[in-house]
Amino acid sequence: MSRVITAIISAATALALNIAGAIGQDFPNRPIQLMVAYPAGGSTDIAARIVASIAEKELGQPIVVVNKGGAGGQVGWTDMVRQKPDGYYIGFINLPATNTVILDPERKAIFSEKDFTPIINQVLDPGVIWVKSDSPYKTVQDLIVAAKNSPNTIRAATTGILSDDHLAILMTEEAAPGAAFRLVHLEGGAAQFKEIMAGNVDVAFDNVGSIVPRVRSGEVRALAVLDDVRSKFLPEVPTTKELGYPTIISNSTRGIAGPKDMPAPIVAKLREVLKKAMEAPEHVKKLEEQGIAIRIMVGEEYAKYFADTHAKAKKYTEWAKNRPQK
Amino acid sequence: MNGLAAAMSWQNFIFALIGCVLGTLIGVLPGLGPAAGTAILIPLTFRLDPTGALIMLSAIYYGAMYGGTITSVLINVPGEAASVVTCFDGHQMAKQGRGGTALGIAAIGSFVGGIAATIALVVVAPPLARVALSFGPPEFFALMLVGLGLVTSLAGRSLAAGLAMAVLGLLIAMVGIDPVRGAPRFTFGIPSLYDGVGFIPVVMGLFGVAEILLTIGAPTRQVIATKLTSLLPSREEWRRSWGAIGRGTGIGFFLGLIPGVGAIIPTFVAYVFEKRISKTPEHFGQGAIEGVAAPESANNAYANAAMIPLLTLGIPSSPTIAVLMGAFIVNGLTPGPFLFQERPDLVWAVIASFFLGNVLLLILNLPLVGLWARILHLPYQYVCVGTLLFCILGAYSLQQNVFDVGVMIVCGIIGYGMRKIDLPIAPLVLGLILGPFIEKSLRTSLEMSGGDFSIFYTRPLCLGLLVVSALILVASALRLAPAEVREASKN
Repeated sequence: MSRVITAIISAATALALNIAGAIGQDFPNRPIQLMVAYPAGGSTDIAARIVASIAEKELGQPIVVVNKGGAGGQVGWTDMVRQKPDGYYIGFINLPATNTVILDPERKAIFSEKDFTPIINQVLDPGVIWVKSDSPYKTVQDLIVAAKNSPNTIRAATTGILSDDHLAILMTEEAAPGAAFRLVHLEGGAAQFKEIMAGNVDVAFDNVGSIVPRVRSGEVRALAVLDDVRSKFLPEVPTTKELGYPTIISNSTRGIAGPKDMPAPIVAKLREVLKKAMEAPEHVKKLEEQGIAIRIMVGEEYAKYFADTHAKAKKYTEWAKNRPQK
Repeated sequence: MNGLAAAMSWQNFIFALIGCVLGTLIGVLPGLGPAAGTAILIPLTFRLDPTGALIMLSAIYYGAMYGGTITSVLINVPGEAASVVTCFDGHQMAKQGRGGTALGIAAIGSFVGGIAATIALVVVAPPLARVALSFGPPEFFALMLVGLGLVTSLAGRSLAAGLAMAVLGLLIAMVGIDPVRGAPRFTFGIPSLYDGVGFIPVVMGLFGVAEILLTIGAPTRQVIATKLTSLLPSREEWRRSWGAIGRGTGIGFFLGLIPGVGAIIPTFVAYVFEKRISKTPEHFGQGAIEGVAAPESANNAYANAAMIPLLTLGIPSSPTIAVLMGAFIVNGLTPGPFLFQERPDLVWAVIASFFLGNVLLLILNLPLVGLWARILHLPYQYVCVGTLLFCILGAYSLQQNVFDVGVMIVCGIIGYGMRKIDLPIAPLVLGLILGPFIEKSLRTSLEMSGGDFSIFYTRPLCLGLLVVSALILVASALRLAPAEVREASKN
């Protein structure tokens, strides 16, 4: 008799746990992994650790930041799309980097834009064109005129092949027909800074978040912000829209996503917790100190942004692959 | 000078101490490198004031440089990339019962290297920082070629074997996403290979796992000297070491100023240089104390010197320093010339903490040397299994990827095979490290010049370095040929 009761009780417990698991009511019941597709110490990584340390208090379970850097992010995203969509493994996607990896046929990415469940976007870092403070180029116009007069001579540095900076240079060439730059692909903002200071490259295309302190200190001059509104961190720098180039809009966004087919209640829970963390004063303060602009996007807005960025990236990626000098 | 006083405050002293301990632990644990370790600890420092945070993080950084030596000497497992070279002679010394001496001279060499570099930082930092700027991609390429030329000194008895292994290293380095077009090379569709084979699992396998396999396979049980010989070097050994320490410090310091040079390169250069100018080069690889003293001084001198471009120009020299730079920025400070001007108190406090840190490391580690050396006296069954477990955990800890563990094991088997048929491993490691540097700097140089090769001979420093690398190759060919001819004529 007691064996029957034990059996019934265990079956009932198992059933209850399964139901609870299925509904996601006791999610999370163990730590969550937050993957960053770049090595430790970069700006995605730092912002991720900040938001994780705040969000885990609300979530009740630790959020462990895991670095899976490599191949410009491809290694990390490949890993993520193969995980179970149970909410315990989520990670940062960087647009348009994620898009270009998908769109470049040579990269043979095993994932497509449909393999992600976007959860919430954290940062939108507008592109910026900058030069050394003693550079002869004082405005974007100077730069473009020089690029037209001596095509393929002006050395423009990016932070990576098919990065948002790379696409931004192509947008610039498109908007100013006849202008052609000699592309130099460096790895990361630090390398760019060094080569500009050493005089090995003439102009750098990067993002606001990377150079705000250096603009403030006067070491570099920002020629334009590639956005349609001025950056609150560089209010004195004109936008490309103001300067008559409204098509040169480029930015790098960083947001959190999971593998596809995540259950809606789990996505909702994560979204709620992360949104609260991103709006917390501590988070805002730490990111703003570094000049990183927060732009929270959730749900439909984020999904649409993903799709729009993808479409735009497609055009420039194809052009980049077919261009004589990459 | 207020900075020096500030660094002596009790709080900062404690932070430096904690940093040194944590750093040493991180260095000892194979796999977890200073970059990842520092990054993980950054949020901890949010609670601290910026000065304290930076002092602690810097201490972790050069503490890790020392920690990696311990496992290299004791169990032939490099705790982190920069400690690979210490395995060559350090572990041999351990097998001869002189493990304590090896660790001791490593501690002293590291101390001297670190202090000398810090003094130089204080005295001549800004002019030296200009050196960092004059090394652009073409100069870097030429410098890496000089490095590759060193392979001839690591070849041992057969130059052909050495060169072949170096080429094999270069080939392995090509696995992964190509830096020009972004297309995968030799990856066989395995995503884990997209970023290359992974340097740390490879060296852990070639050195650590191979060593275990060799010892297991040895027909007679090797008995490590039962008597714990003196922990301090003999007079003869001191004499040989001082020169090595001095030269290693110089080499490490100079290379530390050049951004992009990873921590392991100065150790190779110092080792090979020492071997070349030695009157007894055949001792290297068999437990020559200079073979430990030189690389250890080099890597600590490098670690401290690499802070110079960061503090004076705001340029990080390596991924680990980039993490440190991230820590600066997160704490609201941007390293660069303006930081020196705006917050000299803070910069001096950090620099003063380097002195403090180096002293602390010496004090922490010298007494522990005896303790570590006792591990060698445990029955080998335990050391063997423990090491293997250690390696597996370490390889897994890198990226939480079982693939890395697999790479390590395969390399262990390969390393075992190589030792059995007397193929030199060091050139392979050299090729593996230098491969990506050579390819990327060549590619970036040509992008800068628009495809024009003249960039390599129109820049004076680059041309000079290319000539040096050619001379090294010629000199090696001349030097080695007679010996081989002599051997052949004997038979």
